[in-house]
Amino acid sequence: MTTESTECCKSTPATECCKSCPQENLGFIYGAFLLRVWLAIRAIQTGVEKYSGTVGSDQPIRIDGKVNDYGLTAAEPVKEYALSHYHGVPEALMTKFTHEPIMMQMKWALPLYDKVLGPALLALGFAILLGIFTRTSLFLLGLLYVSLTWGLILIKEDSGIAWLGIHMILIVMALMLAKHNRLCLLKKW
Amino acid sequence: METPTSSINRRDFLAKTAAGAGAGLVLGAPGILRAAGASPSNNINVALIGHGKQGQVLFESMKNIPGLHFQAVCDIWDYNRKAAEGHVHGLQKHMPKAYSDVDEMLATEKGLDAAVIATPDFWHSPHTVKCLEAGLNVYCEKMMSNTIDGARAMVKAMQKSGKLCQIGHQRRSNPRYRFTLDQLINNNKICGQIINVNGQWNRAVKSSQNIAYKPSLTIKPEILAKYGFKDMHQFMNWRFFRDLSGGAISDLGAHQIDIFNWFLGAVPKSVYATGGNSYFKEREHFDNVMALFDYDTPQGQVRAFYQVLTTTSSGGGYWESFMGTEGTIKISENSSVTEIFKEASPAPKDPSAPPPDKPIPLSWDHLVQRGLLGRKAAAPPPAPAAGVVDSRVSKPPEGFALPGELNKPPHQPHLENFFASMRGEAKLNCDAHHAFLSEAPIYWVNPSALSHQPIVFTNEHLDV
Repeated sequence: MTTESTECCKSTPATECCKSCPQENLGFIYGAFLLRVWLAIRAIQTGVEKYSGTVGSDQPIRIDGKVNDYGLTAAEPVKEYALSHYHGVPEALMTKFTHEPIMMQMKWALPLYDKVLGPALLALGFAILLGIFTRTSLFLLGLLYVSLTWGLILIKEDSGIAWLGIHMILIVMALMLAKHNRLCLLKKW
Repeated sequence: METPTSSINRRDFLAKTAAGAGAGLVLGAPGILRAAGASPSNNINVALIGHGKQGQVLFESMKNIPGLHFQAVCDIWDYNRKAAEGHVHGLQKHMPKAYSDVDEMLATEKGLDAAVIATPDFWHSPHTVKCLEAGLNVYCEKMMSNTIDGARAMVKAMQKSGKLCQIGHQRRSNPRYRFTLDQLINNNKICGQIINVNGQWNRAVKSSQNIAYKPSLTIKPEILAKYGFKDMHQFMNWRFFRDLSGGAISDLGAHQIDIFNWFLGAVPKSVYATGGNSYFKEREHFDNVMALFDYDTPQGQVRAFYQVLTTTSSGGGYWESFMGTEGTIKISENSSVTEIFKEASPAPKDPSAPPPDKPIPLSWDHLVQRGLLGRKAAAPPPAPAAGVVDSRVSKPPEGFALPGELNKPPHQPHLENFFASMRGEAKLNCDAHHAFLSEAPIYWVNPSALSHQPIVFTNEHLDV
């Protein structure tokens, strides 16, 4: 990076800077895009998985051409996605949360959070992927991860806290690179 | 009121079996009067007694059964009781009544139809007897009790009350097991003469550790003492204590030895067991037990070997294997472990044996075509070592599979059978009396191992 181009980037808006020194800025543009896509996919697929469940096959097997009397079905349970499978907070964690004294004081909070978590991950994930209010969407995703971190601190899930810490670092990096954001639907905020 | 099962004792059981009822027919089709227990609305009002790990497993299965109303929950531990309230609230959108004491619950709650009991083993009998005497139908987890007298009391209470009492040997209602017994062993006799039975439950050291707890959740000492626990460690790990449970042989082995007896249609005539605290030296119960059972069945003598090891997961986990002259069925609740083998060469006819009911087919292709068996890829033949093949080595058997699966949690069919029986739509697959006949030999495994002596069963050992 030349001194001239660095000065250029400091003194001019990102778009104009890009025009004035495109080669040096391309790395930032790629970096911002990749980080955006990674965070978006992470949020979207996590949200989608909250609609997944396992169901057994209902296809009965036939013996001598007739449906068997025993209730034997064709295959082992399979994974599927459906609105009816929705579970925001995994059941194992839900049980732990319900026994926490703080959560007992706010009994309304957990069901609400459970309902909001999946749709929030999907909405923010798609907003970041499509570049809709990227900075604000990243900021809100960061807040969502802060809330998840708080919950994991509550139930002493240290490894999960560490994972979320890495996500937070990536979000901060994405925010720092946001001025190099391209392929956006709405560049405001 | 006396149920029909009250007239069954071990002698009748053996006599009926010997009279040609066929393997599993007697144990598999217990007759019991249908209990009129359901509410007029046809909703069954259920009390959950004990909501630890097993209680939660049962609840997860009951969630899928329509027509149940969870009216009350009972557990001495706040942690479990609140979990039960939360689980029921999540399902019904209103809180059940919560109790820490069964007596208080039974005295207070009106309109209960059934109790589902998943408390520690030494509480099974007192809780079941109390609930039956209070007019409830009972589903109680196995092992029936930590003592044979406790189990006897459950049978007598069921007979006296005229209510239903199903014991949680859930494989008895599993379609895979019922199909295997009815269609493969009895109707089509694919095993030929069953001579040996093997079973095991091998569990790794990591899965056999003491259960830990948060100190902040410790139950008050006076409450623990009231309910028979020395301290919180004992409350969490009651399975390792002789006064509270039967140890691994009843905890894990009872399910599978029950299958031995059910499939063979007989109870063993003796047991010889050995065991020890070879790894978990501080525990009262053995961490590994091996038991040999001798049977006289309508088909002839059968020897069965069972092992429960809490120090290794090798050997494929848990399964029961029925080995006959024509084929072997290795079955497990875990369908990936289930395998069926056909001997490559049919057994030569024994000139002294009575002629078979049907000619023994050389191939099982017709069973596959009918849908009774699935195909499994054949195992490759063993490579000849140093160019020499021992002429005594048998050809590898041909592999087959069960044709279908269970598409529900494994406990659900057994619970469905219980509630359907309450509604008069079915008969119990494992009422307390039939469970007792099957469980009674298991109570003598630990005494045999402790005394290093075989035990030949008499009526005193096995009768109610």
